[in-house]
Amino acid sequence: MDLLNLARGPLLATSVLIFVLGMAWRMVGLIRRPTRQVRSAPRRIHVQGAVWAAVLRHMLPRTGTRPSPTLATLNPYFYHFGLVFIVFGYAPHIAFLQRHLGVSWPALPDAVMYLAAGVTIISLLVALAMRLMDPTLRRISSADDYISWGLLFLVIFTGMALIDRPSSAYAAQAFSADPTRLAIHLMSLELLLVWFPFGKLFHTVSWFFGRAQFGAFMARRGVQA
Amino acid sequence: MMNREMYAQFGNAIAHLAEQAPKVEMPDAERVQRAKAVMMEKMDRNLAVDLESCVRCGYCADACQFSVQNDDPDLIPTHKLDLLRRVWRRDLAPMSWLWKPFTQDVTADDLRKWQALCFDSCTECGRCSMVCPMGINIARGVNVMREALATAGFAPDELRAVQSEQDARGTVFGADASHLVQTVEAVRSRGVTVHLDKPKAKVLMLTTVLDILLFQDALEATARVLNAAGLDWTLRSNGYEAANFGLLSGVEETQKKASEAVIRQAIEVGAEMVIVPECGHAYPALRWEGAEVHGGALPFRVLAISELIGELVEQGKLRLRGDAHQTLMFHDACKLGRHGGVFEQPRLALRATGAQLREPRDTEEMNWCCGGGAGGFLINRAAPLRAQAFAIKRAQVDSSDAQAIVTSCGSCRLNFLAGAEQTAWDKPVLSLVELVAQNLVDDPLPSAAC
Repeated sequence: MDLLNLARGPLLATSVLIFVLGMAWRMVGLIRRPTRQVRSAPRRIHVQGAVWAAVLRHMLPRTGTRPSPTLATLNPYFYHFGLVFIVFGYAPHIAFLQRHLGVSWPALPDAVMYLAAGVTIISLLVALAMRLMDPTLRRISSADDYISWGLLFLVIFTGMALIDRPSSAYAAQAFSADPTRLAIHLMSLELLLVWFPFGKLFHTVSWFFGRAQFGAFMARRGVQA
Repeated sequence: MMNREMYAQFGNAIAHLAEQAPKVEMPDAERVQRAKAVMMEKMDRNLAVDLESCVRCGYCADACQFSVQNDDPDLIPTHKLDLLRRVWRRDLAPMSWLWKPFTQDVTADDLRKWQALCFDSCTECGRCSMVCPMGINIARGVNVMREALATAGFAPDELRAVQSEQDARGTVFGADASHLVQTVEAVRSRGVTVHLDKPKAKVLMLTTVLDILLFQDALEATARVLNAAGLDWTLRSNGYEAANFGLLSGVEETQKKASEAVIRQAIEVGAEMVIVPECGHAYPALRWEGAEVHGGALPFRVLAISELIGELVEQGKLRLRGDAHQTLMFHDACKLGRHGGVFEQPRLALRATGAQLREPRDTEEMNWCCGGGAGGFLINRAAPLRAQAFAIKRAQVDSSDAQAIVTSCGSCRLNFLAGAEQTAWDKPVLSLVELVAQNLVDDPLPSAAC
């Protein structure tokens, strides 16, 4: 079995299995924790609206903090949106997802994708620089932060190293690229998938629950979270 | 008007408070074991989700008055939950089998260090959670940490001194029933009716050591407001203390005792409503935690005095002259505002006095803490941290351009007064209930409280 087939076959299957089982294991472990019965009379009984408001509101920077450097506030948006564009907007990625999941949608133009990839790479580098240079961020950082950053960056970097023609050219030849470089890109993705459930990338799931429970907690006290 | 002599005595008592703390003799291993047992016991789903969610973005540092004023990176709010995180990851998390070898166990030295992080430099104000992209309830985590530290004997001596007094005698700073009676007599001597120990009443009014000893005018004003509204109320000498140093020091047993003492009185007199005086933490202690202590829904409403006044004004049951034309900034005590949802009613009451309210940029749920909440104002070694935090508060008040600052929390008021004294700040610090009482229509004593 050559490297590409190994990456496309057993390694992909194994990494996806670890990803799915790991995420489910961690989620179920949280859900199974005991809950605290709340007996005090709530100020508000119907809190669903407030919960959704909190989920959305915590997506935006809160006015009322001390002025923070604009870059520190904006940078996370750059790489989060950039990653969404790259994963769900680039034609070869959509083709990959269609092959495995059977769903597809129109791709974004290559120029947009290159811009998104450029912005994402720069903003990830900025995020790393901030983490290393800011004493407070450095104090609270752990190996998890650097491993998660490194694996994410590796996937993007190996993906960029793979591109040598427009996506339409890949489409014309059934999305076949340089097999070795494609295998390396896939294996870096597989590494990321294996790491995903064990580190901070779990926040792709927990963000919703954290905001929702805080929104509900504050809403029953009559406070907009 | 504050009793100046008593204020000086109170300051002196605080300075020597630590000397009265009971000695804690415990081997380090037992301290760690006890602290970890509390952390594990309190690790419910909400806390676990919070501990799993932090992405270490550092946003909470920008929201915390201690963190923004200090170069020490340890003061960032999320770091204060690190011991909980370690216990979670090593012993309870779904993947603890994997994380345990890479996660350091909690030691007694860690607990010693976290005492300062969770007591001296955190007032559980909750501002950090409002800016957290993950919605982590850091204040709740710190509260669990306080319980863990307290059970290991690591609560600050000042808080332990007051907590042990309240636990043993039910009093705070020695303000027992005889002091209450003296204060009531003093208020009565000014022509104000005070209903003490009525067997039955629809409203149970609580008070606090601060009002009994220092801010007697606040107690008097509360009585005048309740009388003016025609409420059937009483104070009870067997259960009057609203302050709860069990909650502040993290000792659940004392918290329960203190809450049960007033809950029992309320049930005994058949109260439909319990009024919490101007004391920030006393409100959540009864309003949000009382039912948990009692083991079921409370058979009465719990209202902060500022909340009640707003309701009475809104319902037309309390008539104010509306002639106090001044500009005021209302300081939302964290435990009443951000943790309690009491925002509108105090403002409504102040506007009814004729005042114009000046809101600073960061107001209501984003208001800055005074720096001395959650018992912080009693911790002597934390005075420099409090002074740094107060600088933010002072700048915020100054930016509002108001003539005076009003609050409805005795410890905020004390902290403001101490900060003003230290920084030669001449901004008047007023009590909401006193302002309202001075503005009552047909008040027989319009100037007595001034």
